[in-house]
Amino acid sequence: MTTVKLTYPSTILVVAAIATSLCLLRAQAPATDSRSVWDGVYTEEQAKRGESVYRKECAACHGDMLIGGESAPPLTGGAFLANWNGLSVGDLFDRIRKTMPQSAPGRLTRQQDSDILAFMLSVNKFPAGKTELYRQSEMLKEIRFEAAKPAPKK
Amino acid sequence: MREKTSRRLSALLFLIIVGSFSWPAPVSAQFHPKDTEWPSYAADLAGTRYRPLDQINATNFSDLEIAWRIKTDNFGDRPEYKLEGTPLMVNGVLYATAGSRRAVIALDPATGELLWTHGEHEGKRGGAAPRQLSGRGLAYWSDGREERIFYVTPGFRLICLDAKTGVRIPSFGENGLVDLKLNDDQDIFPDLETGEIGIQSAPVVAKDTVIIGAAFREGMTPKSMRNNKGYVRGFDVRTGKRLWIFHTIPKKGEFGYDTWEKGSAEYTGNTGVWTQITVDEQLGLVYLPVESPTSDFYGGHRPGNNLFGESLVCVDLKTGERKWHFQLVHHALWDMDISSAPILADITVDGKPVKAVAQPTKQGFLYVFDRVTGKPVWPIPERPVEVGNVPGEWYSHTQPIPTKPPAYSRNGVLIDDLIDFTPALRERAKEIASKYHLGPVFTPPTASKREGPLGTLTMGTASGGTNWPGGSYDPETHNVYVYACNSCVEPIGLVPAPKEVSDIAYIAGTAGREVEILHGPGENAGADSPKPPKKAAGGSFSRLDVDGLPLVKPPYGTITAINLDKGEFVWQIAHGETPDVVRNSAILKGMNIPRTGQTTYNIGTLVTKTLVIAGEGNITTTAGHPRGAMLRAYDKMTGKEVGAVYMPAPQTGSPMTYMVNGKQYIVVAVSGGPYSGEYIAYTLPSTGE
Repeated sequence: MTTVKLTYPSTILVVAAIATSLCLLRAQAPATDSRSVWDGVYTEEQAKRGESVYRKECAACHGDMLIGGESAPPLTGGAFLANWNGLSVGDLFDRIRKTMPQSAPGRLTRQQDSDILAFMLSVNKFPAGKTELYRQSEMLKEIRFEAAKPAPKK
Repeated sequence: MREKTSRRLSALLFLIIVGSFSWPAPVSAQFHPKDTEWPSYAADLAGTRYRPLDQINATNFSDLEIAWRIKTDNFGDRPEYKLEGTPLMVNGVLYATAGSRRAVIALDPATGELLWTHGEHEGKRGGAAPRQLSGRGLAYWSDGREERIFYVTPGFRLICLDAKTGVRIPSFGENGLVDLKLNDDQDIFPDLETGEIGIQSAPVVAKDTVIIGAAFREGMTPKSMRNNKGYVRGFDVRTGKRLWIFHTIPKKGEFGYDTWEKGSAEYTGNTGVWTQITVDEQLGLVYLPVESPTSDFYGGHRPGNNLFGESLVCVDLKTGERKWHFQLVHHALWDMDISSAPILADITVDGKPVKAVAQPTKQGFLYVFDRVTGKPVWPIPERPVEVGNVPGEWYSHTQPIPTKPPAYSRNGVLIDDLIDFTPALRERAKEIASKYHLGPVFTPPTASKREGPLGTLTMGTASGGTNWPGGSYDPETHNVYVYACNSCVEPIGLVPAPKEVSDIAYIAGTAGREVEILHGPGENAGADSPKPPKKAAGGSFSRLDVDGLPLVKPPYGTITAINLDKGEFVWQIAHGETPDVVRNSAILKGMNIPRTGQTTYNIGTLVTKTLVIAGEGNITTTAGHPRGAMLRAYDKMTGKEVGAVYMPAPQTGSPMTYMVNGKQYIVVAVSGGPYSGEYIAYTLPSTGE
């Protein structure tokens, strides 16, 4: 969703323009709102399952605190978030599916990869929700990865 | 079995291209590279990453445009996202390693056109390799007539190729191949296919000797105190015959054996040279930066100082015999390794000429020695350090600490290092830090306890500081230019290892958290591999950031210019755009925060006639550019930024430069996150464009 920063909210004109554009956005919005990682796209239970798989399959290189190692990037923190900001959860899922674990890419099931992803989202403090994360890349591509928490909808 | 896939993609075109370059007829048996070329990984065998080129300079750097680019996705059976290579350019051809196959590619350096490619299909042996993907590069050799390319496969085979065709040279080793798991003064266990040993760095060729070290898996949570050893060997460049070997862990009767008490030299492994090796061909001396022994953070099974672990060792180029050594860290407990190429520098100290070797390190000290004698140029006295209390550990009560130059990056964590944008943030950081043991450089790891400490909070350890890209050296100014992560915080806690996990008493971990068998890259994980022990997970996940902001204050990453005649800083700057998380932070809104640099450790520098050039290691999205990273140029005299050019992904391999057809090019490897590996060549727009 478009976010508008009111850096210079000094003129009535700007406010009026925003009001107009919000109306337009509402008019153009798709039938189903697209979601982001801030909309509770995984469950706590799933993240717990993912943590168990992560410890076994990923922690040796990415570290038990996900801060990376000599040969693996961090999976939490500013650099990680900036890396995926503006892309989709599906992009991140595909990256895991295609290349991880490094010794045997694709060895894990989609469910396991999805669970690991849920764990990563929880560590990065994206909120849990009531439904589990999808297991299909195409569906996950509908979930936007946004580093910053969007302003509350009014 | 392996199968060779060497192909000539465009033989005719290749012949035309190669034929069109006027390489002088051989006048001597030795190859003399020009300074418009980049004939070895670090530009030269002295590890300088320096070329005296100046077509690209402060006035035009920002005008650079992409001359050509090559994705490495198809040089392997899957894309790679960690392209760390630095190409070579010699005699009108650019050579590089590329892709998950670690293929060798030859390109037209002006256009990027693929001339040939070579890959080895190693099957399970490649899949089980401890160091996979494309590695850091290769080596070139010529006697003025014949040209050869050397590289090491992930499965640890030294391959010798005809530089003109990419085909193996049959007279070298066995049909162009030397199996590095053999003839190593040890039996690689458990077997040749899965035995843990490999290398990712580029081979070094000096005179007529190819020198190869060894690397292993990450050593945080090894399964055993026993491992294969990382000896260094020299091979004849023509025949592949082993000329010498240097035992980085001495054998019984050899110097240093007694620094491994209770016979621990017999079973301890690792202690390889996994990074770049430096050579002074004139002196006939080789400089070996040796890594940590088995088990990065616990040394209770290897009591003693453990020579030549974490030592700089000088050996004879012809025989491999030790000339001198200096152990930078006694009884390694911090994974400091020695992670980058030693740098050779002819300097003048107090009016006297010194042939020096300068060693950048993870711990942010630049150790400087007379490279003939091994004597420190400035005193490096033994200083008392904290002794820990991890059961069974053996501690060195002193460590050598350089008096000059001063540390160029943080190498410990103290309260004063914590984030201080606001008093509230400092308080939050103190709260997080209170769960850990803090201290200066060489503060030992602690056993992790639920009630605290969870471990020792360290900087300048496993990541560094300066890691594998190392530094650059400018023979004109006698300055070393070196990038360092100044915020790579690493907690080191130790937990007792369940017997099913490891025979080592303590491995890295956090109290209250599940300990499982950890599968490293390349480790076979089939149906019959041991099942992890069932243990209840406990403890909550603690993070080392404050509302997403780095735990420590800026600068997060720096480039420092250090003058070697004086042992003093010339300048130090924050390298890299302020991270999105800081620039966009609601907490910091309205604050004027100068550029912070970035938290990353794999940045290599390039120095030219006037510039120091380095890319960023993090993605940012700013008002000035879409998501991406910048390749930046600094005035090498002052550190002032003089230009920048956009890259679609962070720099992951160190930049290099060369001239061809009257134009200067800069090539850099980029990758990471969603962006698969790519070499990008930049040059200036042609006149009139």
